[in-house]
Amino acid sequence: MKFFLLIIRNLRRNLVRSMLTGAGVMVLVFVITLIWSILGFLDEATSTKTSNFKGIVTEKWSIPSQMPFSYASTLEEGAAREAGDVKPIDSMTWQFFIGSIDKTNIGFSTFVFSFCMEPRKLLTMMDELDSLAPGPRGELDQAIKAMEQNRQGIIVGQKRLAALGKRIGDRIKIFGLNYRDLELECEIVGTFPAGRYDNNSCINRDYLNASLDAFKASTGKAHPLAEKSLNLVWVKVPDSKAFDKMSDQITKSPMFSTPAVKIETASSGVSNFLAAYKDLLGILRWILAPSIIVTLAVVISNSISISVRERRKEMAVLKVLGFRPGQIVILVLGGAVLFGVVAGSISSIGTYFFVNRFLGGIPFPIAFFSSFPILDSALWWGAAIGFVTAFAGSIMPALSTRSIKVADVFSKVA
Amino acid sequence: MSRVSDSAIVNVSGVSRYFKRGSERVSVLDDLNLQVPEGQFLALMGPSGSGKTTLLNLIAGLDTPNEGEIWVGEQCVSSMSEAQLARWRNEHVGFVFQFYHLLPVLSAYENVELPLLLMPLNAKARKKQVMTALELVGLEDRNSHLPSQLSGGQQQRVGIARAIVTDPTLIVADEPTGDLDAKSAHEILDLLGTLQRALNKTILMVTHDPRAARRADRIQYLDKGRLVDTPDEELYEGARP
Repeated sequence: MKFFLLIIRNLRRNLVRSMLTGAGVMVLVFVITLIWSILGFLDEATSTKTSNFKGIVTEKWSIPSQMPFSYASTLEEGAAREAGDVKPIDSMTWQFFIGSIDKTNIGFSTFVFSFCMEPRKLLTMMDELDSLAPGPRGELDQAIKAMEQNRQGIIVGQKRLAALGKRIGDRIKIFGLNYRDLELECEIVGTFPAGRYDNNSCINRDYLNASLDAFKASTGKAHPLAEKSLNLVWVKVPDSKAFDKMSDQITKSPMFSTPAVKIETASSGVSNFLAAYKDLLGILRWILAPSIIVTLAVVISNSISISVRERRKEMAVLKVLGFRPGQIVILVLGGAVLFGVVAGSISSIGTYFFVNRFLGGIPFPIAFFSSFPILDSALWWGAAIGFVTAFAGSIMPALSTRSIKVADVFSKVA
Repeated sequence: MSRVSDSAIVNVSGVSRYFKRGSERVSVLDDLNLQVPEGQFLALMGPSGSGKTTLLNLIAGLDTPNEGEIWVGEQCVSSMSEAQLARWRNEHVGFVFQFYHLLPVLSAYENVELPLLLMPLNAKARKKQVMTALELVGLEDRNSHLPSQLSGGQQQRVGIARAIVTDPTLIVADEPTGDLDAKSAHEILDLLGTLQRALNKTILMVTHDPRAARRADRIQYLDKGRLVDTPDEELYEGARP
C-alpha cells in the first residue's frame, strides 16, 4: 500500500507525458479491441459447435447457390424418407431479394437486401434473434405476427429504415435488382433489434413466391429465376452424428440431381463465404494486431525509459535511503503496469459501452455480417493488453535501474 | 575481523580505494586510517579530487574499499553485501545532500516518511516519528508543502528531518550548505550542531567552506587520498576551530 501511493505520485510527476502516453495506449487498445472483436466474432461463427449446430444446404457446383423452390419442403425434412432417417430439429429457407425503392436512383439510400423466409423462423433459427431478451423478443414477435397476417409485411433493420427515410407503417415498392422486372409492394411492420441485422430486412417467402407466380400469369412466361429462387436451406441438428447421417440422406437422395446439392456445417459455410476475405482477415490477425501490440509496448517503453533517465538521481537517493534494487525495479514496473492496466481498461470498457450502446456494433460489412458487436471478453482485454505491454515495455528500463550507482549522488562534489 | 578502536564509533583502518582507467590504476584513497568518537562533529576538507566524498561514501556504505576495513559501531560495513548495506543504511545512517534531493512529487511529510516505509512501522508510529523530526527542524507547519513550495533553506531542513527520522547512529552530510545563502547556511549549521549536542549524533560533514568547517569539533584534511596534518594555509585560512 505504501509503495502503491509512491507509484501513484510518480505517475503525476509529468502529467502531460502521462496523459499523452495514456492517450496513445487508449487509442491503440481501442483499435485492437475493434479488430479482436471482429476476429473473435468470426471465429465464433466459423467454429463448429458440438451440439444444436446448424447445417447449410446449397447448390453443389454453382456460386451463388440457386436451387428450385421445389427442393424446399424435402430439404426442410432433411431428405428423410425411410424409418430411422434423421429429421432436423428446426429448419428455414432463404431466398435473397435485392432491390431498390427507386427504380432509377439506386444507391445507399434506396438499397434493400431482404431474406425471404418464413417469418416465424426469425425467432428460432436466426443467430442472435433466437436468444433475445424478453422485451425485444416480444416486439419482434409482434412484427412477425403482422407479417403472418399480411404477407406483404416487411421487417427492416433500424439503420436501413433510417437510410431509406421510412417509418413503421409506411408502404414501399421494391424494384428487384436480382429479380429483374419483379416489383414487391411491402408494408413496413417492424424493425429488428439494434445490432447484427441493422442493414437487412425480411420478407415473407410466400409473398415472393406468389409474386413469381403472378409474374408468369401476367407475362405468359416464368421469371428467369423462378426455378432458381431457393438460395439456402438451414437445418438445425442435435449433434455431429445426426449431421453426418443427414448429410448422407441429402447427398444420396435421388431428388437432388439437377442441380446437385451439398450440405455443410454452418461454420464451414460461413468460412466459405469468408474465403474471399481471407487475405484481409489474415492481415488483421497476423500483421495489424501484433504490430499494434508491439507499438503499444514501444510507446510505454519509450515513456518509461525517459522517466527512468530523468529520475536516475532520485532512484539513487532512494537506494541511499535504504531501498533495495529490487524495490526500485518494483516501483518502476508497478508504475508502468498500473498505468497500462488503467489506460487499457478505460479504453476497452469505454469502447464496449460506446460501440454496443450507441453505435449498435462496429460497422464493418463483410459476407452477411453488417456490423460486429464488441465481445463481452473485451471488458478484460484492455487490462490484459495494458498489463502485458506495460510489463514487456518497462522491464528493460526497470532492470536498468539496478545499475544505478548510489555513489553517483555524491560524485558531483567529489 | 575486529574493531580497530573500541572508543570510536567509526573506525577506518588501512583503507584504499582505487579505480581502473584502462590499464592504469587511479588511486583515490591510499592506506587511510581514521577514527571518529561517538557524538563527534567531524568536518572533512580538502581540494577537489582529494577523496573526501569517496571516504564519505565508504563510511556510509555507498561504496566498498579495495583494501582495508571500515567499522561503524559493531558492524563491519566493508564486508556487507549490497542488500545488507541497504538495510544498514536505512537503519543506521542519515544522509544530508548538497542539493537536498527531495522527491518533487512528495510533500515535506512524505519525503521525511520515505525511509520509514522500509521499516516495520504502522502509520501511527510513522506519523509520530515524522512529526517529531519535522518539529526538530522547525517545519511542522509546512509538512504538507511540496519541495517546490519551500525555500532552499527549508528544503535542506526537510532533508535533515529525513536524515534523522530513523534515529540513525551516524549522520553524513555532503556540502550541506553548498547551495544555500549565508543566512540559511548559518541556520543549517546551527541545526546540525543542535542535533549533535542534544541528541549526541555523530556527524561527518564534507565541506569546502571554512566557516562551515569551523562549526565542527574536529577538522580533517585530505590531500591526494591521504589525511594530512597541515593544510594549505591559503586554501583553508580561518577554517581551524
